[in-house]
Amino acid sequence: MPEAWRLDLRNNMKMKALMGVSSALCLSIPLCGIARAQETNKPADIEQRMKQMQEMFEQREHDMEARFEKKIAAQDAEIETLKKQIGGGTTNLPPAAVAGAPENRAEVPNLIKELNDKVDSVVEAQKKTLPGEFNPAIGVVGETIFSYHSKPSDQTGSSRPGGFDVWQRSVELNVAASVDPFAKGWIVANASADSATGESTFGIEEAALQTTSLPGNLTLTAGRFFGEFGRLAYIHDHELPFVNRPLALDTYIGGESRSDGAQINWLVPVEHYISLTAGVGDQFGGDSPNPNNPGTMRNLGGLNFWGRASTSFDLTDNWQAEAGASGLWNPKTQDRGGVLVQPDNSTLTEKERRLAGLDFKLSYVPLRDNQFNSFTWGTELLFSSDRFLVDPDGSLNPANPTPGLSGDEFKHTVNSLGLYSYVSYKWSRQWSAGFLFDYLQSAQNHNDETFAYSPFITFALSHWNQLRLQYTHTDRSAISGLKPDDAVYLQWQWIIGAHSHGWTQR
Amino acid sequence: MKLKMFLTTLLATALAATQVHAAKVRVVATLTDLADLTRNVGGDFVDVRSLATGIEDTHGVPMKPSFVPLLNRADLVVLVGFDCEHAFLPALLDASKNPNIQVGKPGYVDCSKGVTPRDVPKSTDHSEGDVHPYGNPHYMLDPVLAKTAVQNIYAALVATAPEHEADFTKNRDAYLAKLDAKIGEWQAALAPFKGTKFVSYHEHWPYFADRFGLVYAGTIELKPGVDPTPRHIEELVSRMKAEHIPLVVREPQFPEKVPALIAKQSGATLVKLPIMPGGVPDSDTYIAEMDYIVRTVAAALKKQ
Repeated sequence: MPEAWRLDLRNNMKMKALMGVSSALCLSIPLCGIARAQETNKPADIEQRMKQMQEMFEQREHDMEARFEKKIAAQDAEIETLKKQIGGGTTNLPPAAVAGAPENRAEVPNLIKELNDKVDSVVEAQKKTLPGEFNPAIGVVGETIFSYHSKPSDQTGSSRPGGFDVWQRSVELNVAASVDPFAKGWIVANASADSATGESTFGIEEAALQTTSLPGNLTLTAGRFFGEFGRLAYIHDHELPFVNRPLALDTYIGGESRSDGAQINWLVPVEHYISLTAGVGDQFGGDSPNPNNPGTMRNLGGLNFWGRASTSFDLTDNWQAEAGASGLWNPKTQDRGGVLVQPDNSTLTEKERRLAGLDFKLSYVPLRDNQFNSFTWGTELLFSSDRFLVDPDGSLNPANPTPGLSGDEFKHTVNSLGLYSYVSYKWSRQWSAGFLFDYLQSAQNHNDETFAYSPFITFALSHWNQLRLQYTHTDRSAISGLKPDDAVYLQWQWIIGAHSHGWTQR
Repeated sequence: MKLKMFLTTLLATALAATQVHAAKVRVVATLTDLADLTRNVGGDFVDVRSLATGIEDTHGVPMKPSFVPLLNRADLVVLVGFDCEHAFLPALLDASKNPNIQVGKPGYVDCSKGVTPRDVPKSTDHSEGDVHPYGNPHYMLDPVLAKTAVQNIYAALVATAPEHEADFTKNRDAYLAKLDAKIGEWQAALAPFKGTKFVSYHEHWPYFADRFGLVYAGTIELKPGVDPTPRHIEELVSRMKAEHIPLVVREPQFPEKVPALIAKQSGATLVKLPIMPGGVPDSDTYIAEMDYIVRTVAAALKKQ
């Protein structure tokens, strides 16, 4: 016998022995159990217990049968009731069901169709989500300005050329959504095409995050956004009630109050509406020609600090007054705007920026028909108190071959005022008209002043499509030598996609 | 000493005022019908304020800053839903800084929950006007669907103040019984006019028409939120003549000129109907408003 076979045989024998032992163990366990039971219970007890179990099973079976019968009877009754309803039989259902019940079988297909329509309706509704609930709300605003200026821009200081001009002032993309349960975010990107220069520009006007659940009536905004100053500075151009931004806002703020920074708002917890805002940012004003230049190191004074307090009064159900006071301070402007050459060849270099503002709005918003009839008077007074380094001999003029300090420089504060005031009256859903008055003292020389007068009329074909015609006469400016300008503007503005009725645009 | 007494009195008054407020559930309803239903269910345990007075357009309640502190302190904001308040409520909620009443929070009581919307648009493109993406939101003009609003308000009140559940239940049942009785009366009053067609300025009335067996035949507006064009008016008048439509409904917040012209040219009767309590005199409650509507419609159709 080969050695391998011998090994297998030996293994088989071991396996058989193992199986035998295992089987004996397995059999012994229940037998042990029975033996233990026989030791602890008498046969009469077992019989008693088995009888109880049998009774229990029988009782359960009986209960189940009874329940089934009851359920079947209830369902039969329900089916009968429904049959009666479908057949136009009388019911004691509430009016809702009576009103909806068909009067005869012929109406059943109609009823089924109606039900199908309702289901489709629910499905359609469920397909949609609230703007910003999950997917971002996206909208685009387009704005084209057709204009005619009576004089060339070098004679009037206008940013637009004289004569006829067409300007795609903005194509503004708005994207907004909740970030998470604690914050929301939005982006406003603006592109413009300028036929005068042949240039197209694209910029981020806003990209900010705002908290939605801070305690204590607080809201924190951070990123790039329009800081709260006055009434119209933090409103986009296309949301203004007239074509152009008032001169005082353009000059003192720099157009829209754009800043990269953070702002906190507190709704004072009293029964009257009082809102307080404070912010800090690296610059303030979207269209500033040269923003603050920090050089290689910016200290705290190089930042802009601003704040606003506002309140409102319901004069009657239909008349409201809103008032606000604002302040802006940039302790070290770090030569914002560069060296400013004056008509007499002296120069000014801004060292400190201080601006205060008072705003007031009186609104007639009739409760009954405010979509067809309303009146607004809005006004804002700005007081600028900028501190400049004055260079009388113009040695700092960058046009000089070697600009530099000549020793005659001194620091001087220039106080100046600017204001605008407008009225707007709406007499139908489509038509409104108004008048804007502008007054401005130059922030560099308060004797250099100008006025502008702008009647305007607006036709809103719909909520998203509006035309505005405006005439603006800008007075001469004696000191700067600028000539008066007469301009006519036709603004065509449209909105596609999502748009919101925000708190600031109220 | 006097100062101490003054400060003590002031503190006591402030505490008392706080306790009075704390005892009641503070509710802000967007519209007067919801305010009325909330008062009926909440009874003495609620302090209800309405943003609308009743004469406004449901989509055009002005965003007054004075609403902000109200919402800031509210335990519940009760709204119609289906985007009915889109023109003013989202911005007000944002300004309120009250996290408990924001969308999806327990204090945000959307009364449309459980209501099957009708006329849900396939598209929300602006070529269809200022459409409501979730369907027609004017279901409160159907008193049976108003019962769903009552249930939603009841559930919110119970969740906010469970200690008053028994009172809220009693009030709700009593109000629903009252409403059921009135629904029977209103159905009987309008039963003779079953199948009668009518038009209105804005699409407020489809749910009402469905409930009372009338047929809603169209709007004077070209599209929601878009004024009628001369061509649309001409077509509407022709259709009304062809289909013998006897009734033109004008909601009080819309100008009378165009509806009156259409009624005159088509030979229909012009009626002014409120869209929420307070919209016309003697309609201060939901039941009074519906009474007025049914009475006016029945009288106008009887004349025809």
